[in-house]
Amino acid sequence: MNAVLVSLTLALSLATGQFAPQQAASDPLAPAQEARVQQLAKKLRCAVCQGLSVADSPSSMARAQLDKVRELVSDGKTDTEIVDYFVARYGEWVLLEPRAEGFNWFVWLGPVALVLGGLFVIMKQRQPLPEGAASAEAAPVPSPSTPAPSTDDADPYLQAVRRELER
Amino acid sequence: MKRWRLPLVFAAVGAALLFVLFQGFGRDPHEVPFMLKGAPAPDFTLKPLDGGDPVKLADLKGRPVVINFWASWCGPCKYEHPVLEWGARELGAQAVFMGVVFEDTEPNALDFLRRMGASFPQMMDTRSRMAVDYGVAGVPETYFIDAQGIIRGKHVGPIDPKTLTARVKELTQPVAGPTAEAARQP
Repeated sequence: MNAVLVSLTLALSLATGQFAPQQAASDPLAPAQEARVQQLAKKLRCAVCQGLSVADSPSSMARAQLDKVRELVSDGKTDTEIVDYFVARYGEWVLLEPRAEGFNWFVWLGPVALVLGGLFVIMKQRQPLPEGAASAEAAPVPSPSTPAPSTDDADPYLQAVRRELER
Repeated sequence: MKRWRLPLVFAAVGAALLFVLFQGFGRDPHEVPFMLKGAPAPDFTLKPLDGGDPVKLADLKGRPVVINFWASWCGPCKYEHPVLEWGARELGAQAVFMGVVFEDTEPNALDFLRRMGASFPQMMDTRSRMAVDYGVAGVPETYFIDAQGIIRGKHVGPIDPKTLTARVKELTQPVAGPTAEAARQP
């Protein structure tokens, strides 16, 4: 039922002209330059889409943005200048990959740091701890004067835990 | 102190990650940033929809300009159009009103204007050149440019009479911030 409604709505909107008419894009440049155009267009976000690159989007706005990239490439602009042109208009939002600078380094390196940190913790946990160190980790602040094993033996709860473990 | 070092580092990394996520989730993903506020308006040469000589930004210098990007296929543009018609009549003495057809064909645009009224000049933006130059991210969008040719801001979505009046009034007043002053220097 829903599918029927959706197709009817789509057909009706097509019939009443509720769509942006497709317009032809500019002609591709020479292969070497066109490769640069496509490479740049892959990095830029289409202004009217959500998370689609200018190279991938079929929308006419993306075509217009692609035309602009082509125009700037044939004008002999460098990649940085072309990216800066779009950043000057849409901000860093237009870049599908955040620039690796300043606070953005955190986005690039944070996950790696977390994985490495996690590995470090796991490796540390795997080392067999000496008897005294294990209780020192668990107890809040054990005074060095009190020998750890004697308090453990006196504690009925710990005795119960130990019995449970040894069973 | 030493055994707190690792948890503290983790807490710091976690807090920073949360900050990044908060920034990401805190903003509307449909909202496209606009960076040209306070910058000189990029030049354009547009063909009027009803024929005639091409219009350049330089021709309009010395007067505040209100530029509306619209399309006949855009629903909100339909109910925004009467507001702009009213604006062009009531506020036309304070600012030049101009419409730019975005991603549409001439017959479609002409048909729309025939039905909805055309009391201010309309231009065709071939291949959306001007739209890309101006950082348009959809229609309708209304740009406010002051007499010195500085973009004072843009309104995203259909505009209402109150906002339109207020923004046109702002255009005729001197800039408060230093950004436009700096941009005005050659």
